[in-house]
Amino acid sequence: MADVSKQEATPALAGGPAAPARRRKRPDGLKWLSWITGGLVYAFLTLPVLVIVLSAFSPESYPQFPPRGFSLRWFDALLANPAWLAALKNSVLLLVIVTPLTVILGTTAAYALARLDFRGREALLAFVLSPLMIPQVVLGIALLYVMAAMGMAGSLLGLAAGHIVVALPYTVRTASVSLAAVNRQLESASMNLGAGPWYTFRHVTLPLIKPGIVAGAVFAAVTSFGEVSVSLFMSAPSTITMPVRIFSYVDQTFDPAVNAVSVVFIAIAVVALVVIEKTIGLTKVM
Amino acid sequence: MSGGATRARLPASGRGFAWLLLSPTLLFLIAFLVVPGILLAGLSLRNVDSMLNLQPGYGLSQYILVFGSTTYANALFTTLWVSLGTALLCVLLAYPAAWLLVNAPTRTVRTVLYVLLVSPLLTSVVIRTFAWIVLLAQNGLINDALRNLGLIDAPLRMLWNMNAVIIAYVQVMLPFAVLPLATSLGEIPESLSRASMSLGAGRVHTFFHVTLPLTLPGMLTGAIIVFALAAGSYITPLLIGGRLQPLLPITIYQQAVQIANLPLAAALSFSLLLITGIVVFLLGTVLKRWEKRTYG
Repeated sequence: MADVSKQEATPALAGGPAAPARRRKRPDGLKWLSWITGGLVYAFLTLPVLVIVLSAFSPESYPQFPPRGFSLRWFDALLANPAWLAALKNSVLLLVIVTPLTVILGTTAAYALARLDFRGREALLAFVLSPLMIPQVVLGIALLYVMAAMGMAGSLLGLAAGHIVVALPYTVRTASVSLAAVNRQLESASMNLGAGPWYTFRHVTLPLIKPGIVAGAVFAAVTSFGEVSVSLFMSAPSTITMPVRIFSYVDQTFDPAVNAVSVVFIAIAVVALVVIEKTIGLTKVM
Repeated sequence: MSGGATRARLPASGRGFAWLLLSPTLLFLIAFLVVPGILLAGLSLRNVDSMLNLQPGYGLSQYILVFGSTTYANALFTTLWVSLGTALLCVLLAYPAAWLLVNAPTRTVRTVLYVLLVSPLLTSVVIRTFAWIVLLAQNGLINDALRNLGLIDAPLRMLWNMNAVIIAYVQVMLPFAVLPLATSLGEIPESLSRASMSLGAGRVHTFFHVTLPLTLPGMLTGAIIVFALAAGSYITPLLIGGRLQPLLPITIYQQAVQIANLPLAAALSFSLLLITGIVVFLLGTVLKRWEKRTYG
């Protein structure tokens, strides 16, 4: 309890101007306990990312703490291995196919569900968002079975379809968040002035919900790039993606190059975060 | 949502246009979600011979096998308990985290906390699972640190058991519990707890009688999501717990991919779907009742 003295030094942390020294006489142990537990939880949440970054730049096969030096040898190993590059190519190709399609499907669906007013609207929305809640192993096996029946097992298109199913709820949600803030009178005005529904959607609604669309695109891209649960069922040796290759490496061997791959993923996540924060705002997405 | 007056019905052309916009998504989901589901259901009713060839006719033999054998019934129960335990732990840990998020002293601190919360969601689950292997392995970071501190002689065996699976689950899914809880917490007007305390209730009493009941919807929402995710994920338990853990998603994966007994895997899938569906429905009912009681 050495922290008690420190706490006295910053009494107005959470009180705000409206609470002048209210209940400040006794040391506020409870508030400090909350701060410390909260901090520990965030540390627990961050720990794995720190470990990965630390290991990726470590010169040894097994990461040590404190680290004993700095090296880029795992990144070199990564670039020298054609298998990783092939997987990267597949992942990027998928991302390029999946992202625009998911954004189009998600945005149009969110718009329709926001503007239509009928009995089953809630149920339909739940249906569109349902891939989030369906056990991923079930989703994977169901898609595997259908793709195999259609002769598309292991094809890139089959994988793309699976990725779109998984990513769709995110684009629907971000677009819905933006749509909820759109002033409907702008759309009515456009219609009253003689514009058709398509023209209004294209030239009034879409520009207004652009932040939600961009955030949705980022979510779709990141989801596709990191998807493993469904992909593992559906990828053939020639269509292996990065996460699937990571899975098999981790499953069968211990390859420190995986650390370097992971840093690439984390860097992408950071870029995605910045884009989301700049467009729709982090606090609004979830 | 509040603009009831402005929510006039769309003109007929607008309604037709909205349905037109909705149709591609619906068709896509029917093709790649509904049809696969129906076909899988049909497959779960088929029988196989000892060579795993499909037999003609339909029946419940796969389900009898699932619920009749101790192995699968055990896996079903273990999955249920591990997922419920994970959900409970997540909600418990989410509380201080959400509190910190809502009570962050400055905007910058809050943004940083948000970044810490959302960044795991944007990192592939294999990456986060792999990090736990690096941490918990025999020559991993934790054993290394403990040995350097002279606390242990032989490395502890922390991987390949259910505890490791639960630790990793909690870390992977915690943000899903924190975010709805933070929304709930943020919506409570500060005047409420001030009123409670000015009427003589202490902080602890206020927490249990004002804050906790009002945040129950957020807690339940988080618990439902975490439960559903934990019950359906097989990547994390496979890598951290090993292939022998009695968890249904692992069993399904093995039956489908390694043994290629698709009818059994399908029946196991629908059993899992049924059990998670029941739990999600029950928790959802509690959630609705509570919201009705609180807000009328």
